[in-house]
Amino acid sequence: MRNIYRPELMQVIDARRQTPDVKSVRARFLDPAAGRDFSFRVGQFGIFSAFGYGESTFNICSSSNWRDHIEFCFRKTGRVTEALWEIDEGDTIGFRGPYGNWYPMEEWEGKNLIFLGGGIAMPPIRCAIWYALENRERFGEITIVYGARTVADLVYVDELDKWAAGPGVRVIRCVDPGGETPGWTGEIGFVPMVFERAGVPAGNSVALVIGPPVMIKYTLPVLDRMGIAPQDIYTSLENRMKCGLGKCGRCNAGECYVCKEGPVFTMEQLSRLPTDY
Amino acid sequence: MSRIITEAGLRELAEAWLRDGQAVAGPSEVKLGLIQYRPITAAARLLFDGFVHPANSIKEFFFPRHEPLYRYRLEGSRVVLEDCEPPAVKQLVFARPCDAAALPVLDHVFNWDCADEFYNRRREATTVVTLACSRYDDECFCTSVGLGPAAEQGADAVLFALGGGAFEVRPTTAKGDAAFADRTEESDRTATPFAGPPRRVALPRVEFDSPVWEDATLECLGCGACAYTCPTCHCFDIVDEGNAAGGMRAKNWDSCQFSLFTLHASGHNPRHAQPRRQRQRIYHKFHIYPEKFGPILCTGCGNCARQCPAGLGVLNVLKAIEASHAEHLPA
Amino acid sequence: MSETNGFEPKIVAYVCNWCTYLGADLAGTNRLEYPPNVRLIRLPCTGRIDFNLIVKAFEMSADAVLVSGCHPGDCHYTAGNYHARRRWMLFRPLLEALGFDLRRIHFTWISAAEGRKFQQVIAEITESARKLGPYRPYEANGESKWRPAGLPPPKRRSGDDASLRTTARELLAEGKAGVVIGRGERGPVLARKPEDADRLTWNGASKIALTAYLKRKEVRALGKPAIVAGPADLRALNVLEQESQIRREDIHVIAAEGPGAAPPDFSDLDALLQLEPGERMAYWAGEFDRCVKCYACRQACPLCYCERCIVDKNRPQAIDTSAHARGNFAWHITRAFHLAGRCVGCGACTRACPAGIDLRLLNQAAARAAERQFGYRAGADPKAEPLVGVYSLTDKEEFIG
Ligand SMILES: Cc1cc2nc3c(=O)[nH]c(=O)nc-3n(C[C@H](O)[C@H](O)[C@H](O)COP(=O)(O)OP(=O)(O)OC[C@H]3O[C@@H](n4cnc5c(N)ncnc54)[C@H](O)[C@@H]3O)c2cc1C
Ligand code: SF4
Ligand code: SF4
Ligand code: SF4
Ligand code: SF4
Ligand code: FES
Repeated sequence: MRNIYRPELMQVIDARRQTPDVKSVRARFLDPAAGRDFSFRVGQFGIFSAFGYGESTFNICSSSNWRDHIEFCFRKTGRVTEALWEIDEGDTIGFRGPYGNWYPMEEWEGKNLIFLGGGIAMPPIRCAIWYALENRERFGEITIVYGARTVADLVYVDELDKWAAGPGVRVIRCVDPGGETPGWTGEIGFVPMVFERAGVPAGNSVALVIGPPVMIKYTLPVLDRMGIAPQDIYTSLENRMKCGLGKCGRCNAGECYVCKEGPVFTMEQLSRLPTDY
Repeated sequence: MSRIITEAGLRELAEAWLRDGQAVAGPSEVKLGLIQYRPITAAARLLFDGFVHPANSIKEFFFPRHEPLYRYRLEGSRVVLEDCEPPAVKQLVFARPCDAAALPVLDHVFNWDCADEFYNRRREATTVVTLACSRYDDECFCTSVGLGPAAEQGADAVLFALGGGAFEVRPTTAKGDAAFADRTEESDRTATPFAGPPRRVALPRVEFDSPVWEDATLECLGCGACAYTCPTCHCFDIVDEGNAAGGMRAKNWDSCQFSLFTLHASGHNPRHAQPRRQRQRIYHKFHIYPEKFGPILCTGCGNCARQCPAGLGVLNVLKAIEASHAEHLPA
Repeated sequence: MSETNGFEPKIVAYVCNWCTYLGADLAGTNRLEYPPNVRLIRLPCTGRIDFNLIVKAFEMSADAVLVSGCHPGDCHYTAGNYHARRRWMLFRPLLEALGFDLRRIHFTWISAAEGRKFQQVIAEITESARKLGPYRPYEANGESKWRPAGLPPPKRRSGDDASLRTTARELLAEGKAGVVIGRGERGPVLARKPEDADRLTWNGASKIALTAYLKRKEVRALGKPAIVAGPADLRALNVLEQESQIRREDIHVIAAEGPGAAPPDFSDLDALLQLEPGERMAYWAGEFDRCVKCYACRQACPLCYCERCIVDKNRPQAIDTSAHARGNFAWHITRAFHLAGRCVGCGACTRACPAGIDLRLLNQAAARAAERQFGYRAGADPKAEPLVGVYSLTDKEEFIG
C-alpha cells in the first residue's frame, strides 16, 4: 500500500548553530535510490520529522542544483524544533516532500532581482539566491537586503560575504536600532527603511520579500513607490501545516490550499485571497 | 416487481458477515436515549427504525478518529519504519442516506493529486447499506442541499421500510447486489416515497467579509462536537506517540473550531477569534469545497445542530446568512 | 527469582529528593537489601509529584506506584507534603471511582534516617504487587451492563420572563452591560442589542454553563457582562471569584434564586461504587471508548478556564492527544482532578458531551470526598479558601504508610 504519510529517511551530515535559537542542517537520503530520484525547485518546502516528537514544515533552503544533499534551517520554537535542535551528524531524520509551488526562476530571467529578508526568513530566500548566483548570466542586478533584530540573530552570515563577492551583487545587511555590536559595519535600521535609503534602481525588477508581517507591511509601500507592480512582488506564506498534501484542512486561505497552491504568491495573488493568513 | 427482505433477514445478513470474521457497524442503542453508529458484535444490537439520526456519523469507519500511519523503532541513531495498514476485513455499514452521501464527497479530498490509501482501502472494503428515512426532526435539512430520504449517493444498496418488519431492497452497485444475493424475495410491494423535511433554507451566497459571522456565531464555544459528529468534516492532525525506543505516527481528527488549529509559531493566528473559525467551517463547506471539488461539503444531516452544546449548527448559521442578505436587499 | 510463576512486578517510586531519596541511599550504604523491582524517580518534593506521573507510570506498565516524601513538619519547602496529602485525599476517591485498584498505589513518609523503613516498604509493596499479579490498565474485562440513571432534567426556574427582558433591555440600552448572557429557546443567547433581550427566557435551553462565556475573549471584548444566573451559575461565580478569575463588581448578576443549599444527589455514584473495581473500569473503558476528544466537556465547563489546557501543551506531552483508551483515560482523569474541589455540579460537561458520557460521576467522586473529608462544597461560599491550594495540619492520612 502506498503510504503518502511515510517519510524517507535522511542522515544528518552537518548540523550547525546559526544563532542562539536557529540551526541549519544538511542531510542526505539514506536510500541512494531515493536520493537519485529526488529533485525539487527552489521555493518548495519539506516536512521534516524527529521521530517520537512529530513533524515540522521548513523550506528547503539549499539550491536545487545541489544534488548530493538538501539543507534546511529552523528556529527552535516548539516540540519538534526542540527535538531537532538536539540532532547531530549521523542522526536519522524523516523527510516528506518536496511540496508546494516554487519561485518562477525562469520567468525572472533577464530581470533584476531584489531579495528582502528579515530574521529567520533568510533560509527561504537563500535557495533562490544561490540558484541565481549559480546561473548568474541569466539574471540582471541582484540586491540583497537582510536584517535581523540583533547581530546575533543574523543567519548564514558567512555566506553573505560570498554573495557580495559575486558580480553585480549588492548585499546590504542591517540590524534594528539597538541590536548592533561595537564592531558592526552594516546598516542600522529596519529592512524597509534601509532598503529605501539604498536607492536601488527599480526598473525591470522582481522582488522576493519574506519576513514577519510587520516587515512585509512596511516594505510593500516602499516597493510601490519604486514602481514595482504587485505581480512582480513575491512572498512565501507560513500558514500552519500538517499534511502538506492538501488533505488535513489546516493551511487554507479561502479556497487556496497554501500547501499545494502556495506557499509562493505574488502580492497581486494575495490581494485576491481572503485574509486568512 | 421489487426485492424485499425482512428485518430478521437483515439481521441474518449481519450475522453472516460477523460469522465470516468481517466487521459490521450500524445504529445501535448505546445507552437509554443515545443512538450511535457503532461497530457491533451481535446483529441483535442493530436498530433499523425508531430514530431520526444517530448522534455521530459513519465517517469513523473510513476515516477513524485515530489512525496509526506507521511505527518507528529507534536503534541508536538508526530508525526503522514499519508501515501500518487498515485492517484487511470487509465492513458492512448500515447508514442513513445523509451519512452515505458524504462518502462520494469525501472521495475528492482524499484523492485529489495524491491518494490517501488508508481511506481508500477502507472505502473499497466497505459495503454501505442505507436505511431510507421515514421520519425527520427539526434539524434535518437534506432536502435543502439536494439530497433526501431516498438519496442513493454513496450507498451500495438502499433499504425502504415497507412496514410490518419488511424492507424493499434496491441495490445500486455490484457490491450491494452481492450483499443481498439470495437474501431477498420477489414481491409486488414497493415503498411509497417519503418526501422528507421541507426545504428549510435556500443555500445562500456565503461571503467571507460579512458582519453575519460576528452576529450569528459568537455563541460558539470552539469545541469539536460539530466537526466530530459531522459526516463530511475531515480535518486531521498528525502526531507522534512513543518514547525513546519507538512509537507511532498517527493521524487524529482535528477541528478548525479549536483555537490552536491555525496558531503560528510566531504567535500570529489568522483565525484569532471564534467567529473567524465559524466562518472557516461554513465557508469551507459552502464555498471552498464546491469551488475546488464540485459538491458542497454538507449533506444536511443536522448533526452539527443536534450536537452543538451552544445551540448553533450549520442550518442556523445559513438561515442567519439568508436573513442578512434579505436585510440588505433594497426595500 | 520468585515463586509466583516468575512474575516480577515493576514498581515505580516517585520520591522526594530531601527525605525518601536519602532514606533509600542510606538503605544502600547500610547494605539493607531490598527487591530490585523498584525504579526510583527523584523529584524535588511530594508536592511536585503530579498525579499525571502516576497515571503515566501505569500506562508504561508499572504494576504498582509509590509516592514518598518527608514526614509532616519536615518538608524542605515547609508544606509541600501537606499539599500532597490533601490532593491525595481527593485523588484516591477519583481513582477508586474509575476502578483503579488502590492496593497498587502507595503513599508513605520516609525520612533520610529511615533506611530500614524504606527497605521494608519496598519489600511489602513488591510482595503485594506480586500477589496482585500484572496490572493491565484500562483493559476492560468484558463489558459492563451498568448504567447510571443520569442527570435529572433541569429544574424549572421561578423567574418571570417579562421582567427579565425588561432588566436586560435596560442594561443594554443604558450601556450598563455590553452583553447579557442568558438562555433562549434554542440555546444560550449573548444579547448585545436591546432588542435581543426579547430572546431571553428563564427556562430556555442550554447544554452549557452560561458562566463558561465569561472566559471567552470574544465575550470579554463586549464590555461589562450581565449574566442570567441559576443556582449552579451562582456557585460557579463564587468559585471564579475565589480563584481571582472575576471580580463580582465587574459582573451584573440577574438571579431569581440563591446558589442552592440542598446536598447533591450522589445516588448514581453510590451505585457505581457498589460494582467491583474491575467492572467499574470496564464501565469507564466502555464509556471512554466513545470519547472522540472533542473537548465539548471542557468548553462547556465554567471552571475549565485555562488559557492553554494541559492537553494542548506539548512540552512535555503529558496526555496523549489520540482518542484511544490511554489518551482518553489520561484526559478524563486529568479533567476530573483539575476540577476536584472546584466542580459546582452544574452538569454542563455531561450535557454537552455528544457521546453521552456521564462525566459528572467522576467529578462527584472528588466532590463527595470534599464534602466528607472537609465539609467543603465548591461554590457555596465565595469567601472560603479554595480547597486545593490550602492544607490543614489535621488532614487525615490513614492511607499514608
Ligand atoms: C511552508 C512553510 C515553511 C516554513 N519554513 C520554515 C523554515 O524554513 N524555518 C523555520 O524555522 N520555520 C519554518 N516554518 C515554520 C515552522 O514550520 C514552525 O515554526 C514549526 O513547525 C514549529 O514546530 P514545532 O513542532 O517545534 O512547534 P510546536 O510545538 O508544534 O508549536 C510551537 C508553536 O509553533 C506553532 N506551529 C506549529 N507548527 C507550525 C507550522 N507548521 N507552521 C507555523 N507554526 C506552527 C504552534 O502553533 C505553536 O505556537 C515554515 C512553515 C511553513 C508553513
Ligand atoms: S455540516 Fe452539519 S448538517 Fe452538514 S453534514 Fe456536517 S453535521 Fe451534517
Ligand atoms: S458550533 Fe457548536 S459544536 Fe461547533 S464548535 Fe461551536 S459550540 Fe462546538
Ligand atoms: S465532550 Fe464527550 S466526547 Fe467530547 S471530549 Fe468530552 S467526554 Fe470526550
Ligand atoms: S459539572 Fe463540574 S466539571 Fe462538569 S461542567 Fe459543571 S463545573 Fe465543570
Ligand atoms: S497542510 Fe494539510 S491541507 Fe495543507
